[in-house]
Amino acid sequence: MIIGISIALILSSALMVLLVLLHKGKGGGLSDLFGGGFTSSFGGSSVVERNLDRLTVITGSVWFVCIIALGLLLRPA
Amino acid sequence: MLTAITRAFRTPDLRNKLLFTLGIIVLFRLGSVLPTPGVNTVNVQQCLKEAQAGDAANIYGMVQLFSGGALLKLSVFALGIMPYITSSIILQLLTVVIPRLEALKKEGQSGTAKITQYTRYLTIGLAVLQSTAFVALARTGQLFPNCRQPLLVNNDVFTVVTMVVVMTAGTSVIMWLGELVTDRGVGNGMSILIFTQVIAVFPSELLNIFRQNAFTFVIVMLVGVFMIAAVVFVEQAQRRVPVQYAKRMVGRRMYGGTSTYIPLKVNQAGIIPVIFASSLLYLPQLLVSLFGNSENPGPIVQWLAQNFVRGDHPVYMVTFFVLIIFFTYFYVSITFNPVEVADNMKKYGGFIPGIRPGRPTAEYLNYVLMRLTAPGSLYLGLISMVPIIALVVAGASQNFPFGGTSILIMVGVGLDTVKQIESQLQQRNYEGFLK
Repeated sequence: MIIGISIALILSSALMVLLVLLHKGKGGGLSDLFGGGFTSSFGGSSVVERNLDRLTVITGSVWFVCIIALGLLLRPA
Repeated sequence: MLTAITRAFRTPDLRNKLLFTLGIIVLFRLGSVLPTPGVNTVNVQQCLKEAQAGDAANIYGMVQLFSGGALLKLSVFALGIMPYITSSIILQLLTVVIPRLEALKKEGQSGTAKITQYTRYLTIGLAVLQSTAFVALARTGQLFPNCRQPLLVNNDVFTVVTMVVVMTAGTSVIMWLGELVTDRGVGNGMSILIFTQVIAVFPSELLNIFRQNAFTFVIVMLVGVFMIAAVVFVEQAQRRVPVQYAKRMVGRRMYGGTSTYIPLKVNQAGIIPVIFASSLLYLPQLLVSLFGNSENPGPIVQWLAQNFVRGDHPVYMVTFFVLIIFFTYFYVSITFNPVEVADNMKKYGGFIPGIRPGRPTAEYLNYVLMRLTAPGSLYLGLISMVPIIALVVAGASQNFPFGGTSILIMVGVGLDTVKQIESQLQQRNYEGFLK
């Protein structure tokens, strides 16, 4: 049981990292991190991006559920 | 003020953005308290309490500040935004060194997008490194040197690997949350997340002070309000270099002829120099904690341990101060290029009254900027010295809540976000928050 959920967790984590990296980065790096002026993000999100969002949210939920399940199973006695 | 807030919530699209941002913040905090599976939460809580009673916790100062207490709780988001910040710093520095990156930066929007993408890849790499190091520390019990209880439920390799993978994925999720806020919420996502973590530890620390001594609490609050006002004052301060645009005819239309100004902020670099300097000064502490426990530490390690581990040592303070001033100048010279500005002005027929366009303008701008940065850098240095001075004078704890870095972050991010909300609000109403 524990091993099964652990494997699912590892898989969903890997998928999560991959999906996030597939997104187009919207942060402008360090320069506008702390009050570096005004960045306007023009352009709506494309269909690809929206589907990617949906996939990421689903994977994220699975990831979250796995964490909670494994956390409950591995609770200190 | 209050009417402005209600008006902000009455505007439908602004309301959605604000609620979206709040939702992301809630998710983020949830992940910061959710323990990584495999952590023995009972023991960690106990060790944390012991560590806070002593002052062993300050080794992780900067990392701890940015993780909002999540780091030592070994939560899913334990690493926080630190990997992203570190990788941004690295790429920013590399832009100066590597010609290919410099070319990308000059390319404009598409080049910047590529650099952002590199930053994201590097973030994941750093996250793997840091989470591995961190879980290893927890496994061998070095995370809390004075605490002898096992921090993990079991020490087999499979559990440890799962933890590392979860923390890495947590970092990528944080990155995504930040980008979502930038994209669909208000303000810059990453800085809002940092803001959240800095604010999150405030109530408990203030409560700690209040429990110890109510009089100190009042003084801390007074000093805090005064410092926030001072920081706002300097952050808003700018010198306006007047620029006159020549009139020109295009077809039958008249263009230009207006006079504007170039705003040069006193503190053009923002908070980044402080972060650079703290990250650099964190290295000697890391070295000492890695090698200092061996039987025969070398003379270098001994010297570092004597001078750089305690935050109130004069050598440490002076180095910190000098580094901040250096990085302020360094960062200003990266972000503001007088030659480019002068060229652009020349192209559109603008000039500073009394100064020829072209090279003299660039020289003048450079002169003004360098002179303006002198008080700016001194101010940054002094503000970040405040917690250390408080430590020496009043014997306050190292995690003095109104530390310079936290105030700078709070005020900087707060002002920026309010300005963005304001500009959104002004699309519909004329009066905003700031009058």
